[in-house]
Amino acid sequence: MRWFGHMLPFFRRSGRAKRRDSASGSRQGPRDSEDLTASLSRSLKKNLSRIRSLFGDSADLTVRELGGRPGDSEVSVLYLESIVDSDFVNRYVMTPLVEWTVGRLHGDRISRLRETLPVGRLVEMDKMGDLLTHILNGYTIVLVDGTPMGFAASTTGGERRSVEEPSSQTVTRGPKESFTESILTNMTLLRRRIKTPDLRVESFTIGRQTRTFVNILYIDGIVLEKPLTEVRDRLSRIDVDSILDSGYVEEYIQDELWTPFPLMQNSERPDAVAAGLLEGQIAIVVDGSPFVLLAPTTFVKFFQSSEDYYQRYDIASFLRIIRYISFLVSILLPSLYIAVTTFHQEMLPTPLLISLASQREGIPFPALVEALLMELTFEVLREAGVRMPRVVGSAISIVGALVLGQAAVQAGLVSAAMIIVVSFTAIANFVIPSTNMSSGARLIRFVLMLLAGTLGLFGIMSGLMVLLIHLVSLKSFGVPYMTPLAPIVWGNMKDVWVRVPWPLMKTRPIAHFQRNKIRQGNSFAVPSKHDRKKGEKSP
Amino acid sequence: MQAMSQNQLAAAVFLFQLGSSPLFLLAGAAKGDAWIAVFIGMLAGGLLLLSATLPIFRKEPNLTLIELLPKYFGRILGTTVALAYVLYFSYKSVRNVREFGDLLNTFLLPNTPLAFLLLVAVLLSAYAVYHGVEVFFRLMEFLFPWIILFYVFLFSFAFMSNAVHPENLEPVLEHGLKPVVLAALPELVSFPFGEMVLFLMFWRYTESVPKTVRTTLLSFAGAGIFLVITNAIILAVLGKLSFFAVIPLLQVTNLVRVAGIVERMDPVVLLLLFTGVYLKQTAYYLGAVLALSQVLGRQWRRCILPIGLLIFVGSLAFRSYMEQVRIGFKLNLNYHFPIFQIVIPFILLAVILLRSPQSRRAED
Repeated sequence: MRWFGHMLPFFRRSGRAKRRDSASGSRQGPRDSEDLTASLSRSLKKNLSRIRSLFGDSADLTVRELGGRPGDSEVSVLYLESIVDSDFVNRYVMTPLVEWTVGRLHGDRISRLRETLPVGRLVEMDKMGDLLTHILNGYTIVLVDGTPMGFAASTTGGERRSVEEPSSQTVTRGPKESFTESILTNMTLLRRRIKTPDLRVESFTIGRQTRTFVNILYIDGIVLEKPLTEVRDRLSRIDVDSILDSGYVEEYIQDELWTPFPLMQNSERPDAVAAGLLEGQIAIVVDGSPFVLLAPTTFVKFFQSSEDYYQRYDIASFLRIIRYISFLVSILLPSLYIAVTTFHQEMLPTPLLISLASQREGIPFPALVEALLMELTFEVLREAGVRMPRVVGSAISIVGALVLGQAAVQAGLVSAAMIIVVSFTAIANFVIPSTNMSSGARLIRFVLMLLAGTLGLFGIMSGLMVLLIHLVSLKSFGVPYMTPLAPIVWGNMKDVWVRVPWPLMKTRPIAHFQRNKIRQGNSFAVPSKHDRKKGEKSP
Repeated sequence: MQAMSQNQLAAAVFLFQLGSSPLFLLAGAAKGDAWIAVFIGMLAGGLLLLSATLPIFRKEPNLTLIELLPKYFGRILGTTVALAYVLYFSYKSVRNVREFGDLLNTFLLPNTPLAFLLLVAVLLSAYAVYHGVEVFFRLMEFLFPWIILFYVFLFSFAFMSNAVHPENLEPVLEHGLKPVVLAALPELVSFPFGEMVLFLMFWRYTESVPKTVRTTLLSFAGAGIFLVITNAIILAVLGKLSFFAVIPLLQVTNLVRVAGIVERMDPVVLLLLFTGVYLKQTAYYLGAVLALSQVLGRQWRRCILPIGLLIFVGSLAFRSYMEQVRIGFKLNLNYHFPIFQIVIPFILLAVILLRSPQSRRAED
């Protein structure tokens, strides 16, 4: 954890966050206001007993007293054993302090003490509330008898997961790092990718009990002011006891609650977040969550995978079109099947109609019930697949594929065509790169199936129309959700239906959310026709 | 304040003009020259747009029609006329809703009660109206390319299946220009080309006056030419049959067969037509809601329910589709609609010009 000292500037509170803390300190703290806003006492003994009572004699609160007589020491060191790097504490806090007390240096004791401690970040404080905040964040507190002041040395440590491969957003080509639960590690992963002082970090502390660090990151000069202030305002309005994952934050700050569509992206891939930052998005990193939020966002962003930008542009564009089609299939296929087989048989070519009709002969349910039954069965299977212990995994696939699929058809409960429809729908749903968009599609599918069962194609059309109106009415932090399709932004089209080759993407996709348009100079290896012409004209 | 971009305006004007027009063979009285009649109708409509509707907007770019009327006609007369416009917009919406419901009932859902279909149609519109001008125009902007793409596909399929016989269009102007002009002039100006008066309710949401004028004219001309082409293709495919078909375009679709895969697209084409009708009925619904709210000085969302009820009840009032079409084409187009589309705008423009000579001089 040697890099720790360098990371600390990220933790500096912005002015806003500080104001918020002091303003709401009384509400946030676990104790009544008297304890927390109170200043530290001159007497070390008094301070220690107050802190001990605040923590209710927690077993991991370590208090080491130095100098003086036992019970009446000169200096005390306090830290929570569970969240500090004890090796670091011993070497860089305890060792110099012992020397300091033994050496009995006189003169201005406090300033000497400050010089004595070789830690990167040393905070002076005189309020009990500050002291608590720091000790809870893994700082080591040094209190000196006779001064109403204390020092907090950054010694955060403790066990955390190491950086691993992403598990939910995998790529075949591209970086294989993913975020972890530690906000510090996550910040490292991002800072390493964007080495500019323009990458700004603002820190918030949210959650009365959990006091979770929430950092917002953006690149100054690219990000637009309006969404940024929106993000800040909405974050500082959250008043809740706990934030355990970025999902909490997302639901608190999204523009519109009543929608099946995700209004913020989340990613466990540092490269994806870095790309978002470079396009003017704002990243929200929540301590304890390996998923970083990106806002504002648009509908089409959910169909872009990181891999699109690492693979060749031709295959990437092809795959992207496949994804849009899959999205349509996953919301529409079952309902189209229902509508066509129950209301509009005339649309089918005769041989296909006969084949379908003969399959459906003897099926005891109407198409709508049959489809609902199989779709629900699939959802059950899928949920079981996610929740069950890994060791029994093969059992699910056997039961699912053989018993529910093949046997159901043989028993004449559902038609084979329906199994094909349901399976294809399911597979198409997995093609959508972001899980929150695909889960939205799953819900919409059921509504459309009901509409198709009652009003046929017209029902589907009505459903789609309502969906479209809803989509164009949505906004993500002030940015219309269907940008760049409605409102049309021609400059963004190069990264919507297709992904054009990198050298042609000279400007950032101005999705209404950034300044600083130009992304690159002329990076053609061979001068383009256009450039050559220009050269000829002006020698 | 809600705002509208030029792209959105262009899409809206185009789709609004398109509306339910492809459902009918416009200017059927001109027989084989109907497409020429459509062209003449478009020119006449464009002239109306240029000489009355757009000048009103240029003079008073920040007021809607309903706000202009009391200002220039006095409170009592102005408010009366404004209320008449509320009824006119609602009635136009009623006609589209009824078309929507009747066609659905005839072609897609014969067993569903008509009242239920009308209710669904009105509710669908109300949902769009509830979201307001900005969202509705964004919706049009989104739908525009897909609708055009679809028509293009449909027509190219018609060509591919060798259904288009240009010789059906001959002889051109067999009886001279007169019957063609007669077929075009009173009728086609009212429907669809004179209906741009509704945009006096929406133009004020745009940002630049000259750009808006240009976009409107270009888009209007584009839609007109599109209708001319549609009409010509229908005539070329169906020949004499086009004068008898309930929905000529659907007959055309029936003849489309490509490679044994693309065939029987009728329901899909119907949905396409519904989309057009839906957008038009919603535009009028929205116009009526805005108009009523401006007359009464109330919050516009409060007017959604009363206008919606009015449209629903009104659409139930026709006894049959045939009656609806007859009233529309025989009476409304010739006697009623021109009052709102031509007479009142011209009078309004005249009053504006008379009442503001000083301001004009000041500008000069």
